[in-house]
Amino acid sequence: MVAFAFGPLWAAQAGYSDRAKEIGMHLKCMCRGCDMSAGGCAHPGGSFSGPCDTAKAMLKEVDEHLAKGESQQQIIDAFVAEYGSAVYVEPPKKGFGLVAWLMPVFYSVVGFALLVFVVRKMRYRQIAAAPEGPSVHSEALDRARAQVARETED
Amino acid sequence: MDVFGSFTLLLAFVCAVYAFVGGIGALITRHPLLVKSTRQAGIATCVLIFIGTFSLGYLLFSDNFSQAYVVSHSNRDLSAFYKIAALWSGQEGSLLFWSFLLAVYVISVLIAYRHKNGELMPYVGVILAGVQIFFLTLNNFVESPFKTLANVSASGVLEPFVRLDGNGLNPLLQYPEMVIHPPNLYSGYTGFTIPFAFALAALLARYPGEKWIHLTRKWTMIAWCFQSIGILLGAHWAYAVLGWGGYWGWDPVENASLLPWLTGTAFLHSVMMQEKRGMMKVWNVWLVFCTFLLCILGTFLTRSGVVSSVHAFANSQIGPWFVGFMLLTLVVCFVAYVKNRDYLKSENQLDSLISRESSFLFNNLLFLVACIAVLSGTLFPVFTEWFTPSRISVGAPFFNKIMIPIGLGILFLTGVGPLLAWRKTSTDSLKRNFTWPLAVGALSAVLAYVLDYRNAVSLVCLFLCGFVFWTIVMEFYRGAKVIATRSGMSLMMSAHELAMRNTRRYGGYVVHFGMVLIFIGLAGAAFNTDVQKTMNLGESMKLGPYTLVLQTADTKPEKNYTAERMIVEVLKGNKQLMMLYPEKRAFQGRDQSNGTMVAIYSTLREDVYVVFAGIDPDTNLPVIHAFLNPLVKWIWLGGVWVVMGTLLALMPNRRAALVIAGARQPAVGPVAAALNPSVTLKEGHD
Repeated sequence: MVAFAFGPLWAAQAGYSDRAKEIGMHLKCMCRGCDMSAGGCAHPGGSFSGPCDTAKAMLKEVDEHLAKGESQQQIIDAFVAEYGSAVYVEPPKKGFGLVAWLMPVFYSVVGFALLVFVVRKMRYRQIAAAPEGPSVHSEALDRARAQVARETED
Repeated sequence: MDVFGSFTLLLAFVCAVYAFVGGIGALITRHPLLVKSTRQAGIATCVLIFIGTFSLGYLLFSDNFSQAYVVSHSNRDLSAFYKIAALWSGQEGSLLFWSFLLAVYVISVLIAYRHKNGELMPYVGVILAGVQIFFLTLNNFVESPFKTLANVSASGVLEPFVRLDGNGLNPLLQYPEMVIHPPNLYSGYTGFTIPFAFALAALLARYPGEKWIHLTRKWTMIAWCFQSIGILLGAHWAYAVLGWGGYWGWDPVENASLLPWLTGTAFLHSVMMQEKRGMMKVWNVWLVFCTFLLCILGTFLTRSGVVSSVHAFANSQIGPWFVGFMLLTLVVCFVAYVKNRDYLKSENQLDSLISRESSFLFNNLLFLVACIAVLSGTLFPVFTEWFTPSRISVGAPFFNKIMIPIGLGILFLTGVGPLLAWRKTSTDSLKRNFTWPLAVGALSAVLAYVLDYRNAVSLVCLFLCGFVFWTIVMEFYRGAKVIATRSGMSLMMSAHELAMRNTRRYGGYVVHFGMVLIFIGLAGAAFNTDVQKTMNLGESMKLGPYTLVLQTADTKPEKNYTAERMIVEVLKGNKQLMMLYPEKRAFQGRDQSNGTMVAIYSTLREDVYVVFAGIDPDTNLPVIHAFLNPLVKWIWLGGVWVVMGTLLALMPNRRAALVIAGARQPAVGPVAAALNPSVTLKEGHD
């Protein structure tokens, strides 16, 4: 309740509320100089290593949206309408942005399938080749290889 | 000196071309004198590059402000220490520095192996000269660091002119780590050229035997070590200087440095499959090729500005050169592979899906997926500019979500791999081997929960850390016990003896241990908190269990900047812990840019990280931004272990002869010894 009572005062001191900062973590600071989120902007090399003026203005804007009772998603959408998709810190899970999210899943699935395929092919070939294969057992081959490795090591 | 410098670089280019063309001639004619002469041309190239680089260093140190490069990256007040850093802080200088470090590697290889690997070295020489030609082309004709300032006079003639002072070095780079971080990272990048040259040479020469794979592995380890140090120092620099409380932001430049590290790590693991079982040769060769290409790509991404925008690429002079070189390299690698495919035939097959081999396969799969995911995420904004009207940015939250599961998967395999036997593993031994590590893992997770580290991902991570840690302990204990019972040494001494006898295997475990520590540190990131407050003198703020009191402030004029310091006392309860001095530095010269100097009170449990953010324009009071970052110190400690482990792995094995004799075994010939399992078990089965 104390936080509720004094919260607006603290917000006035920082210029924006904690909730705005939290939502600001999902918005990119549009100053084009720092490549950080508006909520986490530290603006390296600037005269102030906290949120820069652009980030502060964005956070205040978030507060205005919050005052209207908008949800986080609505606020983010409003920012996208204003600044374009460059304001996302992570690609949206829709449209072309979805591609970014699906890519790693795609690599993993294809990679795993390929691995299983190669292993199965290897084993199949091994069984097929077994009767006319080399008479030396593969364990002996491995030992010989280990020895060659030892004796030729510099 | 500038004319001298640019002339030596031109001469180096000529020598490199001779080493390349003459080298190819030597491969065709096999004339011994031509072979020798081209090798010496290679050495001459390197020496000339050294002289060229020292010339640029001389211009920087002598404050020669008639030089464009010196004007843009140095000034009179810059301390000598940072004048060294000015050497690589600009585009032209850093490309020259690439050539310089590559030359250090090339000359070491050419001299160290001058009487060895006779058939292989001429090929290696040609490939290295080819890479050097590319960078020397950039140094000479595209981005020359030796450009003199000139004005067009009234009569239309160019007249040289001298500036009184330079613009100075970027303040963000004026930090001690910035003098050691780039050389390390660049040594990593350039170092991967050597394994690339050996792998491609062996393929082209159809070099018999496994010798080349040992050489490739050894040089990969050296480059990998530098790359690891470079990445960690970069992370530490970002942590201590940028003042945003974090150490890794998935910035394109950071990602670029991670890419070859990931494929290089994959190679260091899969190479074991080739050495022990003669498998995965094609895969390994391509991993080495890809690692090299990713190094070039990394340099390209960092230097061309393509990631910040596609349009930057069009404006960049070097972009097309890099793309051309990468395509050419890819074509050469591909042709070499297609022509000599049969040379890389596998000698063995996979026996079981639950075996050491398959754990390496999964390890490689995860490293590769990690690498491609980071690469495509980094380039994704560029794609969006092609396909959609507006750019979609990909920031840290995306990479964190993608990479955390992959990272945890790799950590899991770090523990599983050593528990599985080569060829196949029985269910019985699985039970025996997994019980204790799983118990220790569970214990560490419970401990973390009790200590209030309550976050699902972090708990999983800490569980795996405990699990992996115990597998490493078990590996050392088992080996050491055998030596201890045979030799009567203490367990600690035996563990040391064990590590020295099979440095690669146990060095590898030490690296894994370092990685465990790093992962513990990463797990702490979930609990970072921060407070930002405008403070009057004498005022205090709460940060977790700590109280920060702003005592006083002072101003410290330095040679090329003025530092404003806040003096902050750290208290825990009523106990005084430390005084912290966060600074804000205003630099002269370079359009009044600023630097921060973070002050950190670091313990194993957490870092109190205090930033003096600046003066609040409304109230005119200082703003203090304080972060409480748990477990960060573990990352830097882990880094130290990673480096120590790599150095151990690079040491030659100590012979086990003494202990075998001490064990009162009948004297056996080397062949019999190798075929006698009771002896082979003790050495070389990693």
